[in-house]
Amino acid sequence: MKPHRRKRLAIILFIAAGLSVGIGLTLYALRQNLNMFFTPSQVAAGEFPPGREIRIGGMVKEGSVLHADDSLEVRFVATDYASDVPIHYQGILPDLFREGQGIVVEGQVDRAGVLQASRVLAKHDENYMSPEVKAALDAAHVERPGYGQVSEGVPDGT
Amino acid sequence: MWQWFHRWGSPKWFYDLSGRWLPWLTGALILFLVVGVVWALLFVPQDYQQSYTTRILVVHVAVASTSLAFFPIMAVAGTITLVWKMKMADMVAKTVAPLGAWFSALTLASGSIWGSVMWGTWWEWSDSRLTSMLFQFFLLISVISLRSALNDSETAAKACAVLSIVGCVNVVIIKYSVEWWNTLHQPASALSMNSGSANGPAFWVPTLVMVIAMYLLMAVHVMMATRNEILRRESRSQWVQDLVLAAK
Repeated sequence: MKPHRRKRLAIILFIAAGLSVGIGLTLYALRQNLNMFFTPSQVAAGEFPPGREIRIGGMVKEGSVLHADDSLEVRFVATDYASDVPIHYQGILPDLFREGQGIVVEGQVDRAGVLQASRVLAKHDENYMSPEVKAALDAAHVERPGYGQVSEGVPDGT
Repeated sequence: MWQWFHRWGSPKWFYDLSGRWLPWLTGALILFLVVGVVWALLFVPQDYQQSYTTRILVVHVAVASTSLAFFPIMAVAGTITLVWKMKMADMVAKTVAPLGAWFSALTLASGSIWGSVMWGTWWEWSDSRLTSMLFQFFLLISVISLRSALNDSETAAKACAVLSIVGCVNVVIIKYSVEWWNTLHQPASALSMNSGSANGPAFWVPTLVMVIAMYLLMAVHVMMATRNEILRRESRSQWVQDLVLAAK
């Protein structure tokens, strides 16, 4: 390689490296803002802006879902298996919503510490498998964190 | 090695070579695309949570993973343009950019459709995977606009090369966004050779077929478009004029 070409290549590499470091530091400084949601533990510790719309992400706690008989009102608990946040929501839930499922809830925490949700989104994990494989794994008692057990119906709300 | 490298810089050599390769690549593309699409949309098993919606996954992952290749390709071509001033590299960089924009748009569209069914939302501004992919789409549009905005083709080549190298940083952000920050988007799946566990061959083999089809599509498109570009830029050279006369 000729010297002037080597010099140009060195300049390009230097700029690219400098830029990467700069952007990396910026992203590091913004890391909390780049997160989509707070965890229930963060909410329990009060690490969220008060009086503002926030999003929290967690699992729907087993056995916590209470549907109203005559409306779309639903109460449930979001958990990260360390802390719980009670949630109140009125509206249509996504199809994937079920106990043990990962969810993201948007809303405001009221004075009683209940998140009054305006939106509920369902998360799904990165493990895809057919119902037969899932059944076989469940039968073999393969337990992995993050897996939701498919619930057989929900409590009747009474 | 340098001799081999510099031979790629010859438009005539590229034109002749791509002319010989194109029929084979096109044949392979049709084969992989037909097999991949039929397999993906008709034969992929249902998922225990998402039922048949996972069939979108096969298309979405193939398009999305291919869309991440465009900035690295343009950056390599751009570096060659800046360091060696090779015209061929800039022609490839020029032809690959619009296809990259299409791939990014298809990634956003297929992901949006999947998300609307599974997440319950078409779009989330707060999700860094989604927004960084949108940013890539805009970056590719700006590379294309930058080239057409600058009249002097050499200046345009240099400017686009720099922007392409810078854009590579965003590819890294897209890739690791789901690990660095919490997102609605799920992280990448760990593939399994075992058909009795999650992410078994029933899911990833058709995805791999589709990924190969998408890279073949990219190769065929780039070769065809670059051949056009060669004819346009080299129209005054003797060999192109001979070629045109021979075709008459």
